[in-house]
Amino acid sequence: MKNLTRYLTIALFAAGLAACGKKEEAPKPAPAPAPAPAPAPAPAPAAVTVSSATLGSAVGADKKVTAPKESFAKNDTIYVAVDTAGSGTANLKAKWTFTGKDGKAVPVKEDSQTIQSTGPSTTEFHISKPDGWPVGDYQVEVMQDDKVVQTKKFSVK
Amino acid sequence: MSRDPPDFSNVKGGGSSSATPSTPDFSNVQSGGSSTATKIYEVKSGDSLSKIAKREYGDANAWNRIFEANTDILKDPNKIYPGQKLKIPPK
Repeated sequence: MKNLTRYLTIALFAAGLAACGKKEEAPKPAPAPAPAPAPAPAPAPAAVTVSSATLGSAVGADKKVTAPKESFAKNDTIYVAVDTAGSGTANLKAKWTFTGKDGKAVPVKEDSQTIQSTGPSTTEFHISKPDGWPVGDYQVEVMQDDKVVQTKKFSVK
Repeated sequence: MSRDPPDFSNVKGGGSSSATPSTPDFSNVQSGGSSTATKIYEVKSGDSLSKIAKREYGDANAWNRIFEANTDILKDPNKIYPGQKLKIPPK
């Protein structure tokens, strides 16, 4: 009887322990590190833009006008040097016109060049007339992708 | 006494002026251009690399420069087609 009581006591004690014992929770997995923010996209290269246009009667190897002027002699070759910045492809056009006595524009010549630029560049257009330019007022419109971006007036004396 | 009116039927006329005519003739204007950037040239019917080199560089023998710049689209320098866009390196 003593033994039975001891066994019962031990059994009850063990049962009590089992009932009270907390189940050990499995350790939570460490939170996954937040994904690194996507790297900011590289800034798109600035598109080609015309920064200036200069008239003259000669250009150097760098295509820039060596002596800017806006009044030409009858036998001059007339240059317009167009400076651009940025990179990409652009269509540049030079539209030369003569201003008649009635104020109407008379077409002289139109030329275009498509350039693929990777940085600052200079593009020149030129015109000449073997029998000499008529005296009077002229202008050249520089267009980029068919939009006028520069207008330069000049005269032949 | 009535006189016959003088006969002017054989009078010849003409004249010239140093003044600029109101609508001058620009049909013989010559033009051109070049760039420090690479130019894009669209091949036209009848073109060859030599012709393009002559026009762009003033030297037909410089065709190889154009070929070298376009080996991504040209395999044979003698075969170019209208509509192809060639890169023309600056002089």
